[in-house]
Amino acid sequence: MSPRIGPPRLGAAVAAAIVALSGGCVSHVVRLEPVRVAFQGGDLAEADRLLAAEAERFGADDQVLLLDRGMVALADGRPADAERLLRQARDGLDRVAEESADETAWSMLTDDGARAYAGEDHERVMVRAMLAIANLLQDGDDAEAYGLQVADEQRRIVAAAAEPDGTNPKAAYRQVAFAPYLRGILREATHRHYDDAARCFRQVIEWQPDFHPGPGHLARVTAGTHSRPGHGVVHVFALVGHGPFKMEAEEIPTSTSLLVADRMLSAGLGRSLPPTIAPIRLPRVVAAPGAAATVQVAVGDWSAGQTETITSVSQMALVQQEAMRPITLARAVARRAAKKGTIYGLKQGLGVREGLPGLALDMAGVAWEASEQADTRCWTLLPDRIQVMRLELPAGSHTLLLRPLDGRGLPLGPAAPQPVDVVDGRDSYLLVRAADGGFIGRPQASGR
Amino acid sequence: MSRVDRRQFLRRALTVVPVAVGAASGCRTTQFARVMLPGEAGMVGSHQAGQETFTPLVNDAVAKLLARHVDSGIRQVTYEEGTEPLPPPARRVCFVGVENKSAEEIGDFKEQIYEAIDARILESSVFQSVNRRFVDAGLRDTRLRPDQLLVPEHMRTFAAHLEQQGQPIDYLLYATITSGTTQQNRDYQRDYVLTLELVEVGTGTYDKQSAELSKGYHHTRLGRWRAAHAQPQ
Repeated sequence: MSPRIGPPRLGAAVAAAIVALSGGCVSHVVRLEPVRVAFQGGDLAEADRLLAAEAERFGADDQVLLLDRGMVALADGRPADAERLLRQARDGLDRVAEESADETAWSMLTDDGARAYAGEDHERVMVRAMLAIANLLQDGDDAEAYGLQVADEQRRIVAAAAEPDGTNPKAAYRQVAFAPYLRGILREATHRHYDDAARCFRQVIEWQPDFHPGPGHLARVTAGTHSRPGHGVVHVFALVGHGPFKMEAEEIPTSTSLLVADRMLSAGLGRSLPPTIAPIRLPRVVAAPGAAATVQVAVGDWSAGQTETITSVSQMALVQQEAMRPITLARAVARRAAKKGTIYGLKQGLGVREGLPGLALDMAGVAWEASEQADTRCWTLLPDRIQVMRLELPAGSHTLLLRPLDGRGLPLGPAAPQPVDVVDGRDSYLLVRAADGGFIGRPQASGR
Repeated sequence: MSRVDRRQFLRRALTVVPVAVGAASGCRTTQFARVMLPGEAGMVGSHQAGQETFTPLVNDAVAKLLARHVDSGIRQVTYEEGTEPLPPPARRVCFVGVENKSAEEIGDFKEQIYEAIDARILESSVFQSVNRRFVDAGLRDTRLRPDQLLVPEHMRTFAAHLEQQGQPIDYLLYATITSGTTQQNRDYQRDYVLTLELVEVGTGTYDKQSAELSKGYHHTRLGRWRAAHAQPQ
């Protein structure tokens, strides 16, 4: 005869199972801190090594890691590798973009980390923009396609969020003006599709009104031409500052309300619910851009100017977080309700009221709730701002002097000379990544 | 609750939860694709124009243009006894481009419209089109915008440049897409027009042919049904 399991032992067994289910893993943002430090300090080899170790641990197809590895490759002067990694990440994000019922159900028992990471909306747009840049630094054959994908993805994200009552939480989104800018310069470079370019630059002005060169670009494609005869154009893309990341933040007011509510329900139901001792944790976007503000560009003795912000990634992430906050919070509250309901159901099913078994189940419930972690997964190596500059130069070889500046216009590091080849009537592209300590990696020019 | 009941409850709970989770698994859909058969009805763009709009517009506009010029293309040729009369040489057209002036971004369709029109013209015996790469190079080298080519001086410069490249031209061809929108509450009708303008380089005289297609965009199935079954006015 098998020994019978009484309520105290059952309660203890269930409690142990629940505690075992609780994760207790280190959050993504903490795990990737050394990667960020190495990258921002310009130690690309170390950042690459750390990311490779993470990929070995969590799977080489982990989208967030692929995104970061793509950025390291791009800064390291390996645009082909960057394109391959980012394309893999984009496809992975697309694959899990649609919610999965089993992941949603499982996340109700654990936390949002149980859901496959489909990327924040701005990340889904930015990955296509970065793909376009990586491609332009090579042959540029697919840049036009990536440019179209950026616009399509932006439209799709906002359209998919439309509610039947006509409201749209994503309508307030600040759109990525870099997307139409990129398409605008590509269309202008055809010398044929000035109408498309004008349409794109109009969008740039609408989406990023503080982008000062916008009206000039529009005027040129409306009435002028790409460049003077015998001249070509160099586009400088500067990825400036440290991008946003997510930290775990405690939702104290909501947690307190939930505690009051579960105490009231406990009194009314005759069986106690696990008290909300562990606060609800939500991810919070943190913008810590650092000191780098812009990149000064000079050709010989001629100071050509500074790069200007076309897209503020941090601002975009903050606005998107605000728009989606009610949904994230609602999910966290629903998860707590599901967990409390499960414990209550167990107590009722097992006939447990008070005493040690009830206490054990309540403690298990508290531990279960405390095991929740905010989902801090994000693309950590994005820049704070994407800046651009357009230079029309005589055809031939030139050496551009690039220098990162802080907000007061003081240099953050030595000037980096970068040779570029300017072809009559065509575009050349230059990419730099500027941070507090100067340039991360080295500037890269297309065709070199 | 007796101990037996408790054990039954636990057993059921432990069975039901994984089954429920399992049943819900695999709900993330996978994208599938198939090759559409020739003649099979294509998809209809629900928010903007797609192949259902542009394909008939291109077919109709090009057919009208070619039909007109087949008629006017009868040229007098000299006939000498014992020799075959030579067919008139095909007139050479420089297809400058497609301009989108509609309310919609047409994205990747623009290049396809260009290629479709260019291919139709090339297939006809009425016109012979200049290779697109020569046109692109010509625009780049002369730094002329497509809309500037209608200025006689610019037209001559551009034609002379192409001639230097061994590509003399008789006509410039422009395609323009325009649209007009009529709103009815949340539904709307959009009329799309594709206009082909053929400009004779020597004289500046031009011919123009258009094709039109209207499309209704409805917010609900009922709205679409009502519009489809409305009595003609």
